[in-house]
Amino acid sequence: MHISEGFLPAQVCIAGYGNTGLLTWYSLRQINRQGNPNAKIPKASLLTAAFFVASSISIPIPPTSVHLLLNGLLGVVLGYFAVPAILIGLLFQAMFFGHGGLTTLGVNASMLGFPALLAYHIFQLRFVLEPKEQAFSQSNGSIWRIGAFSFLGGALGLALTALIFFVLMVTLVSAEFDVQTELVAVTYLTLAHLPLAIIEGGFTAMLAVFLQRVKPELLTGR
Amino acid sequence: MASANFETYVEANSSLHSWTPRLKLLSLSLLMFAFAAVKHLPLVLPMLCVVAVLYGLSGLPLSYLLKRLRYPGLFILMVVLLLPFTSGGTVLAQWGPLALRQEGIITAVLVVCRFVSILTLGFVLLGSTPFLTLLRAMRSLGLPTLLADMTLLTYRYLFETADMLSTMQRSMRLRGFGLRRQWFRLEGKTLLQLSGLLGTLLIRSYERSERVYKAMQLRGYGQLKQPQLAAQQPIDSRSLLLTMVTVAAALGFVMAEITFSTIIG
Repeated sequence: MHISEGFLPAQVCIAGYGNTGLLTWYSLRQINRQGNPNAKIPKASLLTAAFFVASSISIPIPPTSVHLLLNGLLGVVLGYFAVPAILIGLLFQAMFFGHGGLTTLGVNASMLGFPALLAYHIFQLRFVLEPKEQAFSQSNGSIWRIGAFSFLGGALGLALTALIFFVLMVTLVSAEFDVQTELVAVTYLTLAHLPLAIIEGGFTAMLAVFLQRVKPELLTGR
Repeated sequence: MASANFETYVEANSSLHSWTPRLKLLSLSLLMFAFAAVKHLPLVLPMLCVVAVLYGLSGLPLSYLLKRLRYPGLFILMVVLLLPFTSGGTVLAQWGPLALRQEGIITAVLVVCRFVSILTLGFVLLGSTPFLTLLRAMRSLGLPTLLADMTLLTYRYLFETADMLSTMQRSMRLRGFGLRRQWFRLEGKTLLQLSGLLGTLLIRSYERSERVYKAMQLRGYGQLKQPQLAAQQPIDSRSLLLTMVTVAAALGFVMAEITFSTIIG
């Protein structure tokens, strides 16, 4: 789900870069506040590389297959590092495959980055809703809470991205559509993506539970 | 993915290859944004001509462009086929419920030409500048250290991670993954197996990152308070001329677009 070169007016591309600049500044500030960012750079970089190559994994639904967006999962695993990771991933996709674009990089990064941060905060809600006796423990939360909140993070990550994508495409690509048509198109196109949001949420939940069982330190902590 | 070509640079001896990287990055980016602003048909031909001249100057083979345009071209094909039938009010031809509309055709032509022009400029930039030089140019233009380090490390491990995933996928297929196919059905087991595949890839990458960080620490990573930037390449007269001409062209397109918008609307 990327917007290619040539689809958006220059003003929107520049505004996209402005948005992404703010989002990146905020994320880097939060990363620095968490302390010792140097120690986390190799982890975030190698996971970014893993997510980048994993974007080629498709879910088979014969006779076709669907690709995962993974931005919700990025938020769940990388936290604030998800924003630089998305920026780098999109830059590489534009460079190596011509997928997305250099002028639309800002718009695409905002479109995927905001929902990724939302997914991270949704995933963190598992600590807010945990029983009081576990509130000071170092655990990641129970398997059920991890599954439920990562499902929500993954599903909402895709749903919000789809909504932003269709609003931008329908309203900005052609000025000839009337408001009513645009509204109907955006609503139906976003609703059509709900099954994909459920698949994305399910995949994110399965993966979060897998990581919790095998390597819990990979999931974002408190 | 493992067989994907992550190398975009093409060795050649052109004036664009010797163009000072940070000036080239700034000038070509400005021109790309100017092209994104083009909304009137009379500017399309000059835009394509400027791109053709720059591509010619870059000394990159035509096969490089055609190969790289093929994949992204498929993505816009759908939209371009859709626009002439859905956007606009002036019907040029009608076949039952299908109506070919003038405004839709104009929008489709503009989108395709902007798409080809901006993408080609991107390939000119990437084809004539090695990735590490480009990253250094971005760093000298103010890219934060964390982003630069992450980009470099991600790029460094991209190839090995792609190989790792490819090996794991081959192992899955050898063990029978994907043999049972039921049409229009997504099996929970398949989703679980694929989540295990990505989970294992993440864990392997994470464990490798711990070893990489220890090796980097031993070599002094993170010890400098102020990161040192490499000495900047001096700006030669040819680079300066190319920069001035490109920036003038970009401003020309923006001015022309504003004029057209004022006159035509």
